[in-house]
Amino acid sequence: MAKEKVKTGVPGLDEMLNGGLIPGRSYVVSGTSGSGKTTLGIQFLMQGATQGERVIYVCLDEPPNEIKHNMRSFGWDLGNMQVFDATPDVMNYDKTPVRDVSTERRVLYFRDVGEEIRKTPDYSPVDVTINTIQEVLKQEMKVRKYSRIVIDSLTSLRYFYIRTSEENSSMISFFRLMSDLGVTSLLTVQLPEIAKPDVEVHMSRGEIRLHKWIDGRGLMRGVTVEKYRGSNHDDRLRPMKITYEGVVVKMASPVRETHDSDSVLDAIEEMMSSKENTALQAQIQDAPSSPQNDPVKPTDDAKPEDKSKRESKSGSGGESQ
Amino acid sequence: MTSGQSERVCTGISGLDEMLEGGLIRARPYVVSGTSGSGKTTFGIQFLHQGVKQGERALLVAIDEPPSEIRENFRALGWDVGKIRILDVHPTAKSYSKRVSLVEVAAQRSVGALREAAPNAKSEALKQASPEISIQSLQLMLKQELQDIKYARVVIDSVTSLKKLSEGMEDTRSSISSLLRFVSESEVTALIITDLPDPAELESEIFLARGEVRLHKRMVANRIDRFVTIEKFRGSDHDTMPRPMTLSERGITVDARKKIPKASLRTLQAFTQYAR
Repeated sequence: MAKEKVKTGVPGLDEMLNGGLIPGRSYVVSGTSGSGKTTLGIQFLMQGATQGERVIYVCLDEPPNEIKHNMRSFGWDLGNMQVFDATPDVMNYDKTPVRDVSTERRVLYFRDVGEEIRKTPDYSPVDVTINTIQEVLKQEMKVRKYSRIVIDSLTSLRYFYIRTSEENSSMISFFRLMSDLGVTSLLTVQLPEIAKPDVEVHMSRGEIRLHKWIDGRGLMRGVTVEKYRGSNHDDRLRPMKITYEGVVVKMASPVRETHDSDSVLDAIEEMMSSKENTALQAQIQDAPSSPQNDPVKPTDDAKPEDKSKRESKSGSGGESQ
Repeated sequence: MTSGQSERVCTGISGLDEMLEGGLIRARPYVVSGTSGSGKTTFGIQFLHQGVKQGERALLVAIDEPPSEIRENFRALGWDVGKIRILDVHPTAKSYSKRVSLVEVAAQRSVGALREAAPNAKSEALKQASPEISIQSLQLMLKQELQDIKYARVVIDSVTSLKKLSEGMEDTRSSISSLLRFVSESEVTALIITDLPDPAELESEIFLARGEVRLHKRMVANRIDRFVTIEKFRGSDHDTMPRPMTLSERGITVDARKKIPKASLRTLQAFTQYAR
């Protein structure tokens, strides 16, 4: 790989990614609610900003004033980071004309975001669709050369700004736009508790998945690199923490080795071996990284459950996408 | 993570406030999820009751149960819930309904203090109109109500029913998004009550909410075991352990210093899927 990789800013994760992300490509950060996707996204931008890069955050689910407020608890100053507030207005359900977000709202610095939530104007709320968001991004890229972008979340974009019938085709074209813009992007994807393969994960050049579960020690967090095109990567579940410094991954200790006999992972292994849990079986078989696309070099010290997982994947590899 | 300068709202359950590092963050929407009988409505009433005790205005949006029944139930527990205001959107006699416009819906339903709810509270006017309830009409009703009165706390019980009632009438995803946005902009601290979702489905209210408190109810050996977890809480540190909870005539109590028994933990683990 000739190009230098892009550091995520998450201690440990760059090691898992064999140095970082490949510049100019789109990656997905997935996880259930509360798994740390937004924090990781902001951390990725902070890393760029401290290196003097131009970075932009597009918020679609949480209003920017709350993001700004929440990130203060990490001691991060987002002031110099650009933000595009693509959160929807309150709909007023009558026939007043709506205006296009690309003409009504500007990208601004986080330092200019107010403390209170932005209020929907009394007349003609702003309409946000995937097309208008694409338009804003294109315009923005012409004005400033951004090197990092976070879309938080891609799930909101899909749920609230795309007509159901066009979901898949719009998502595919959105990824195409991201490639054309040549910017390294992290797109957050909200997973239900039982994840199923979706077009956004399929289209991405890589997927970082954040896990959370409960065992005898309380809420546990972990991270896996599910897919990473064009690069070697760590194929283990690694413990992760959200600390005062943000997301931290511990490379030294794979989660599996530190678990006691009570751990949920034992239960998972049990579930994986039982034929009854078809939903989970299906989930594993349909895991988004199909072997032919994924230059994973399995490490020799992989545990037996890793192997069985991989075997079941390759067994269904042909039709898994 | 420190709590920073965020203003906290007491839930009325001291153990839970402890788990939340002081309470919920003001003016944000939160989800309370759980199976039926797990104590969601009780939590909601307790949250509103706490507000009233502090001299705040509190509003219950009753969709699942008619207000008269709610009042009866809590009176049986010896709680004075008279000061909680209630927006009755219980879908009465829907089968006889004649469609009316959204504006009319908003005008038909009025907010009555809970104490005014007569045992057979179904006004004649209501019977005649029987408007259909949807997420959109609820937003309009709330808008009207919040214009007149500055509420600090709102509970919507439950959004699961609300979504079912709105099916086929509107795009529930974007309506929910708009409703939550409306609640945030109104600067009320809102609890949105949701049935435990299908683990393979993504419910918009859960991923849009700024936090989720989950109430668990499990059969362990031969008795019901209750505990509570905080699944998500944006902008704040929180307790990451499941904590035992009791549901009694004193309402919900949570012991934030106790661990749940091993047997309960095992049932929780069996339930917790990989890749959660």
